[in-house]
Amino acid sequence: MNQNEPVIRFCEIKKQYGTFTALKSVSLEIFRGELFGFLGPNGAGKTTLIRILTGIIQPSGGQIFIGPHDLFAQPDKAKAMIGYVPDRPYLYEKLTPLEYFEFMGGLYNVTSDRIISKGEEMLRMFDLWDRRNELIESFSHGMKQKVAMSAAILHDPEIFVVDEPTVGLDPKSVKLAKNFFKRLIAEGKTVFLTTHTLSVAQDLCNRIAIIRQGDIVALGNMAELQRRASLPGNNLEEVFLKITEEESALQPQII
Amino acid sequence: MNSFRLVSPAFKKFKRVFSHRSRLVLGFLSGGSVLIAFLIYYGLYRFLEYVGRAPMLGDTFGPILGGLLVSKLLEMLFLTLFFMVLFSSIIAALSSFYLNEELPTLMASPLPVGMIFRSRMLLMTIESSWMVAVFFMPALYAFATALKANWPAYLIFPFFLLFAIILPNLAGGFTALSLAAFFPIRQMKKVFQFLSILVLTGLIFFLRSLEAEKLLNPSYFKDISQYILSLQVPLIDYSPSSWLHQASMSLFRNNTGEALWQIAPLVVLGAAGLALLNLFAARFYRQSWQRSMEAVDNQVLGLEWLRKALVWPFRCADPVFRVIVNKEITNFVRDPAIFSQIFMMAAIVFVYGYNLSILPLKDIPSLYSGELNDTLVFLNGPFIGFIVASIGMRFVFPSISMEGRAFWAVKSSPVNPRKILSTKLVLYLVPMLILGIILCMVTNSVFKVSHPVLMYMSYFNVILITLVITSLAIGVGAVYADFSADSPLKIAGSYGGFIYMLLSGFYILNLLILEVYPMYRMFFNRFYVARGSSGIILILISLVLLLTSTAIWVYIPFRKGLDTIENYEPE
Repeated sequence: MNQNEPVIRFCEIKKQYGTFTALKSVSLEIFRGELFGFLGPNGAGKTTLIRILTGIIQPSGGQIFIGPHDLFAQPDKAKAMIGYVPDRPYLYEKLTPLEYFEFMGGLYNVTSDRIISKGEEMLRMFDLWDRRNELIESFSHGMKQKVAMSAAILHDPEIFVVDEPTVGLDPKSVKLAKNFFKRLIAEGKTVFLTTHTLSVAQDLCNRIAIIRQGDIVALGNMAELQRRASLPGNNLEEVFLKITEEESALQPQII
Repeated sequence: MNSFRLVSPAFKKFKRVFSHRSRLVLGFLSGGSVLIAFLIYYGLYRFLEYVGRAPMLGDTFGPILGGLLVSKLLEMLFLTLFFMVLFSSIIAALSSFYLNEELPTLMASPLPVGMIFRSRMLLMTIESSWMVAVFFMPALYAFATALKANWPAYLIFPFFLLFAIILPNLAGGFTALSLAAFFPIRQMKKVFQFLSILVLTGLIFFLRSLEAEKLLNPSYFKDISQYILSLQVPLIDYSPSSWLHQASMSLFRNNTGEALWQIAPLVVLGAAGLALLNLFAARFYRQSWQRSMEAVDNQVLGLEWLRKALVWPFRCADPVFRVIVNKEITNFVRDPAIFSQIFMMAAIVFVYGYNLSILPLKDIPSLYSGELNDTLVFLNGPFIGFIVASIGMRFVFPSISMEGRAFWAVKSSPVNPRKILSTKLVLYLVPMLILGIILCMVTNSVFKVSHPVLMYMSYFNVILITLVITSLAIGVGAVYADFSADSPLKIAGSYGGFIYMLLSGFYILNLLILEVYPMYRMFFNRFYVARGSSGIILILISLVLLLTSTAIWVYIPFRKGLDTIENYEPE
């Protein structure tokens, strides 16, 4: 696949929950080798878009292409290209991490050898190797997050989708996770992440999209976002607040 | 803010379950419940009415001894009710007082601990008792009718029954609070789940060993009635269940004044128990809850040999099938409550086999004994169906819900939901079929079935019933999945579980109706030579209808379950 070809293409994705519009009409392209940050205030539609991207929920309209595959027409091929880590790492609690890897690996048709070698590598990296034979039910939120992250990489996905990767992680693990994402990018993979930790987005992301009330209101690299907010040289936090507040001011006020 | 306000989220959740259902389904469900309640009521009333008269003992002694016997049976029923609610309340109290997910928020709030405790107590009482009360109510009213109670007794009796619920719940509350002071809560909950199943199993054997059917047999009546009347445990006379029994007897015999006097000690005991429990909770509840928060859940990695043995046959299967099966087996083996429930299921199966073995077929005149035997063989398939359905309710029906909140992992994977559901269907169908066929083989040997058609038909019926029941368990289990439930027992006892049992009953009825004609022809041919081919054609039509309807009964629940899973949006 060419570096300049989009590896993820959202085409007018809409999501409606009854009368509430979670996503208005999102169109977006993410390119191979990009670490793409998706930011927005609470309830803006970030997690909804990620869940649609991973095939967990169905959109009300629109199309998504993962590489050459239409996510809704060829879900098996499209989903096989994605590794997903949700914001809340609910895992099968009665399994040990190694058994969980075996289960997840099986769903993605990964060989036992790869499951064992990659699983061990990831557990060692996250300091969980000594707890490999304990049930996941005894793990903390952060430890579960690390297990979910490790499982998502087993099938060597082209695209790594991470919802709030740093929530619940200690500072050492945050650093490990950041290095891990950088390593994936160096290997030519694509990372799509959402986060509220703007310093993480600023440090890592090549491009950032800001979503508000189901609409993308800004898109570009750091310099482009600074220009868009008329705040050259400022950090992402100020740029983010400026852009989201501007958008709030544009909304019709109810008096 | 009061304790009732604190339980309102639980009531709202309950209300939401019903608000999403169509009126037709709710009406159907209510009708089914009323029918079952009526059957319990009427069946037991007829039995008690006969026992109460005891006609084989003569007009003088019969009613006297029969009346005593009915009273004794009521006493046993109250004792059973009391112990069932007691055990159920200890388990519910451990959950509700210590493991409820709202507790950290409530405990961190400035609300008085007494108010939080009372709200948990209310939830625990409802959770532990509603089902027991609903099932016992028609049985208790059958006693009222058999004892010729006037209408005010029916209105007053629910207030009496309230004490059969409140008092064991108070005892359960005290026990849970006291245990929490010394032992880790999660382990205690498991211990009590195990104990309660043992008690239930014991009760099944106890009730079976009473051999109630002998009360209907004149040659045994005297001995068995004397045995029941001689059952005397001194402590029981001083137990609240015994006082409740005496008060209820007076009420049913229309001595309302005396009944109210007899219930008075229970009112005093209940009020004193409530006050004491409140004081006890105000002093110890917060500390014991804090202790429970510090406890780490245990690591159940025992029985690895069993897990490995069970997953071994699947080691060369298709990877997706293999990992789903491995996960199901692992979860199954690591659920600490599972073995006690298998034990109880085994007890039910044993009691069924025993019941058949003592059927007095040899007492029936020889001309008809063959026909009666064959009719029983014919009905045996549906009975086995009910046993398989109740086992399916506990082990198969919750299998989709038990995916829990981790279901996102499957939904986001390339595996088709159809593959998940069909894997589960195949996985559970195999042991269910083995169980059904073993039951059929054992019971056929008890009946000494010699007619080959009847023999094949019994296996054919069991296979069809098991197929439909497993599909219903998977399909209805998916439609009514509760991914937030923490225990398979809770899922099995839910609204969806009831629908599943009801639909299983309807299929069995469907099968019986379509097989009535072929059965009739088979009996008819024993006495008369069949002429013409119209009979054969009708039998073939019955068979085609049966196979077609079975295919529909398998397909529709599976399809509905699949649609639900495909459209399910995890949290």
